Amino acid sequence: MSRAALIVSLASFATLAGAPGARATDWEASLDVRLVNSDADHSYMNGGLGSARFDRTDSALELGRARFALTQALGETWSAHLDASVWDDKDAHPLGLTEAYLQFRPYPRDGYRLRVKAGAFYPPLSLENRASGWESPYTLSFSAINSWLATEVRTIGAEAQLDWLGSRTGHSFDLSVTGAVFGWNDQTGVVLAADGFLLTDRQTPLFGRVGRPGRAPLNGAQPFLELDGRPGAYAGVEARYLDRLVLRVLRYDNRADPAEVDSVAGVVAWHTRFTSAGLRLETESGWTLIAQGLDGDTEIAPPGFQATWPFRASFALISRRAGRHTLSARYDRFWVQVRGTDAGTQSGHAWTAAYAFDASARWRVSLEWLRVTSDSYNRADLSGTSPWATQTQVQLAVRYALGSAIR
Amino acid sequence: MRPPARLRQHLPPRGRTGALVTWLTLLKLCAAHSATLVIHVQTADGHALAGAVVTARPLDGPARHAPPQHAVMDQVNRAFEPDLLVIAVGSTIQFPNSDSVSHQIYSFSPAHRFQLPLYRGEPYPPVLFEQAGVVTLGCNIHDEMLAYVLVTDAPYFGRTDADGAWSAEVAHGRYRVALWHPRLRDAGSDLERELTVNESDRAELTLRLQKPLQPAPLTGRPHSWDY
Repeated sequence: MSRAALIVSLASFATLAGAPGARATDWEASLDVRLVNSDADHSYMNGGLGSARFDRTDSALELGRARFALTQALGETWSAHLDASVWDDKDAHPLGLTEAYLQFRPYPRDGYRLRVKAGAFYPPLSLENRASGWESPYTLSFSAINSWLATEVRTIGAEAQLDWLGSRTGHSFDLSVTGAVFGWNDQTGVVLAADGFLLTDRQTPLFGRVGRPGRAPLNGAQPFLELDGRPGAYAGVEARYLDRLVLRVLRYDNRADPAEVDSVAGVVAWHTRFTSAGLRLETESGWTLIAQGLDGDTEIAPPGFQATWPFRASFALISRRAGRHTLSARYDRFWVQVRGTDAGTQSGHAWTAAYAFDASARWRVSLEWLRVTSDSYNRADLSGTSPWATQTQVQLAVRYALGSAIR
Repeated sequence: MRPPARLRQHLPPRGRTGALVTWLTLLKLCAAHSATLVIHVQTADGHALAGAVVTARPLDGPARHAPPQHAVMDQVNRAFEPDLLVIAVGSTIQFPNSDSVSHQIYSFSPAHRFQLPLYRGEPYPPVLFEQAGVVTLGCNIHDEMLAYVLVTDAPYFGRTDADGAWSAEVAHGRYRVALWHPRLRDAGSDLERELTVNESDRAELTLRLQKPLQPAPLTGRPHSWDY
């Protein structure tokens, strides 16, 4: 009941925001409902080791996501962005914010532009999650890399980006450099170490949890905690050729002290570092190619224990858009190894095929088939089953969206 | 009598046809002998290039430019409409926003630096363009929005039609013909030609690009996507 009241009040706010006279307020609301079929035993969301969002215990009809987003201009060069969602997926709170930030975006000068964000938002890593609400317009489930970002990586801090707008000054290229400092990152890595890479579209709400408490291996892990008071940092570059090709490289280090322990909360700090590189190529005939690679490690070293988990993942996605139809295929590979007091490997690959039909600006129907094959030492340790498992998940999604920019 | 196509495209929506016709008539009267100047523009692989901007300025006699006009560049579905205007020095352009989302227009081009703070509808007066040159326009909120205004001090100008041709009635004399296109890779000076119009009542020139054009902007991608 309280959830319904919340949605009603959000909708009223949306109506107010879109009223004439409320200039420079842009909003969006959407509802995504799924028919789901999965042969997985237990999803990571249900305290299991299934790598996808749903499992065989989930009912056929599921709430994919209910979302409300607002962008409010504050004067000429500042704006506030809020992105709120309801998933109905065992979250600590029924409604969560995935992003909430202030942006400073002064006018470009002499071909250069500065952009500053402060608050909570995604680091500029994904070339796949380009649709509203950090969703992928190609598939319902994100790649393993971007599923990981959705699950436990967020910038809660400040980021500055300097753009050289070459395409506005007679050149074919644009260049950007980005840097950020952030906190509340000391648990980034815990989901990766416990469950390996996932293929999901569940975005962990800010200061929210993943899965249910009391169920190993995740125990409702909370990725966005600050334990050691040491800010993390990242730096990245982006190059673009016209509107055809985007290249992104970013180096991330949460600079957590791996020896830090919060004995009250019963958590340790995870020192996570990685490098990501990706490219997206689009052609006039509607083809899109996206490839991304991730290489890093995470470490904990509380008294009497030390372990490091090197990890690697990559994917290639090809998509063809023809009018209202989008057909996409993606291949993911992922690998996490634990070295130290404990030892083992989680590795695997996944195939995803998806079709989306944009019936109108408001209605979208998507069908996705996902097959994940993985080897996880945790399966043998925790449930005594074979470390190898293959799971197949099929989803049919219907999404309705409305907003100030959607007609 | 209808003005030639090159002028028709710059007519204000509510018409100053009478004034332009008068101006055309004056031009003809001033010219003791006139001829039709026809410029054909071809891509590097020999195809007709539509939409290229052609300017022709006389090399003899006093410098003059076309009378100023009033033009409109709208913003529809997060795109400038049209995405290229060619105007005479001293012309004005109105930039209404017909979208339901707000836009924030800027130019940092030396020919005219200006900003239109965040708006919808038509809250601002027309913008005056007093200096010749290319003005590149963007929206500070939606990076994919891109448009051009070519401000020219040439008395004759226009864009090539679907057959890659542009024509104008000009007086006999020597002319410098220049070409511009937003996706041109050739240096502009490589495509300038001098031409003498005399005796006959028709003078033709074919300009062929040396390098292929840059690819056209992609179309059909949803506006809500991150670019």
